Amino acid sequence: MLSLSARSILSAFLPKPKPRRLLLLRPRRSSASASALTPPTPRTTTPDPPEDADPTPLFLRPPTHPVPEASLAAFRRRAAALVPPSAPHLHRHLRWLLADASAPAPSGADPAAPHLLRAPLDELEALWLRHVRDRRPFQYVVGNEHWKDLVVAVRDGVLIPRPETEAVVDMVAAVEGFQDGWWADLGTGSGAIAVAVARMLGPGGRVFATDVSEVAVEVARLNVQRYGVQDKVEIRRGSWFEPLEDVKGKLMGVISNPPYIPTDDLPGLQPEVGWHEPKLALDGGKDGLDHLLHLCEGLSSALMPGGFFVFETNGNKQSEFLVDFISTKWSSSFCDVEAVLDFADIKRFVRGYRR
Amino acid sequence: MAARALLLRTAARCCSPLHSPSAAPRLRSHAAIPQLRFPSLYFSASAASTSSHGPSGGDAGEGEDDKGAYENYLGMSDDELMAQCDMGTFKSSGPGGQHRNKRESAVRLRHHPTGIVAQAVEDRSQHKNRSSALSRLRTLIALKVRRPINLDNYTPPVELLQILPLKSTIRSKDVGSQIGPNNPKFSPGMQALLDLLFAVEGSVSEAAKILGLSTGALSRLILSDDSLRAAANELRASKGLKPLR
Repeated sequence: MLSLSARSILSAFLPKPKPRRLLLLRPRRSSASASALTPPTPRTTTPDPPEDADPTPLFLRPPTHPVPEASLAAFRRRAAALVPPSAPHLHRHLRWLLADASAPAPSGADPAAPHLLRAPLDELEALWLRHVRDRRPFQYVVGNEHWKDLVVAVRDGVLIPRPETEAVVDMVAAVEGFQDGWWADLGTGSGAIAVAVARMLGPGGRVFATDVSEVAVEVARLNVQRYGVQDKVEIRRGSWFEPLEDVKGKLMGVISNPPYIPTDDLPGLQPEVGWHEPKLALDGGKDGLDHLLHLCEGLSSALMPGGFFVFETNGNKQSEFLVDFISTKWSSSFCDVEAVLDFADIKRFVRGYRR
Repeated sequence: MAARALLLRTAARCCSPLHSPSAAPRLRSHAAIPQLRFPSLYFSASAASTSSHGPSGGDAGEGEDDKGAYENYLGMSDDELMAQCDMGTFKSSGPGGQHRNKRESAVRLRHHPTGIVAQAVEDRSQHKNRSSALSRLRTLIALKVRRPINLDNYTPPVELLQILPLKSTIRSKDVGSQIGPNNPKFSPGMQALLDLLFAVEGSVSEAAKILGLSTGALSRLILSDDSLRAAANELRASKGLKPLR
């Protein structure tokens, strides 16, 4: 891992993300111990990342591993042969994996020159196996998710941002005068929302992004630096409103995509999610409402008068419940509370304003 | 490659508001726009003049400013064009949100004024799929939306001149180099070319004369792009003409 000071010094020279420059400072890693023959992790347990795993996302590592075209072609064939007929989308993933693992070919390069990869071929092979056999999310394999117009770095231990959540950023942009307000993104995870909001803000605007998870704070910090918004986003470690005492009552908006899946639903989740993503970011307690209700409780003291909030929820039932709950219990504190549909017509969000 | 083929196949769904009664109410703005748009290759001029929607016959009596009276969709910015579209992603079954890990983020755009649907599925981000769908929409508009031309005082628009080969006798030097099918500016030129071909009842030799080209040169231009060729041949077929090969 880069030291933070080295990163911030570098990032001062990098208004736009230039991951390759950033990562040249990374100490080189010796070749991976895993091979294609590594047996798949038993499915009964959540596979943890190997102890020696390089925390730098694959797509940001320096392309220092020359691989001849023939070896790469052979890898492509072996990898494609592992794709079951039931999962044709994996061929697309394989293409993306190779794209993310390769250095961009310089124009006019010798076509016979070896490809430069960001990891040794045997490591790529092991990564591919873990994706295909262990259902490790593709985003953890390459270390990113394409989200809105961003390429958000992610790694094990941090929730992969979902396409549904993109709408939250548009809702923020629809708030009058949002550019110069102070915003809070609670449970920021990878920092996707915080970065996307920060990029729309004016000189007076700020985002306070909190997360209780140390990994999340690290990854969010990386994303903030990659997009050069460190003067707009302040990341604070802590639970929900806890680290925000000093901005109480001054926030123009509170945004959160908290864990909202009912605990009983966790065992039935898609393996990519249930086996690999952090429970901390998914488990919403018995009805899935534990954290959402906690957030509602803290809202009125955190927001300035007229302030805006939007939360992502588990869907229709939770959204309807929350709209009803907020409008009856706190009718004197909030107005225009409503559920908002996602692109699949599910009531995915609850938004409203403090009176 | 396969993904691209899929895109072309799936995105080619398109309907004309004048053919589909259900789409007619979408022309909510037609009262405000004085001209009827001729949205389809299959739509003959005589049928247009009997339509109750627009002024009789788009090909007569418009005067010099008739061009400006038609909605110039391809001249719009991406944002303006998006504002006329509904963006849908594919409905998914199941709870979505945190429950699901799904990398594919297909986008479908429905352009309300014309009813044209364009979609893109092959990219990693919804964002990129949106811009692919938008450029696909521009191509489909060029292929499907016909604007009437008054041949008596017709001057080819500059978008059309730009896609013509340099040997065209009506093409002055300041038009610049020839724009090919891979350039985003090809669509407006293609639309203008099909408008002209429509006005001359599908006759390539007539159109070539107007454009200062030999019939062979114009044929080669039409054949240089698969979708342009298909649209031109469909138009010719509707006029009882043999396809270009």
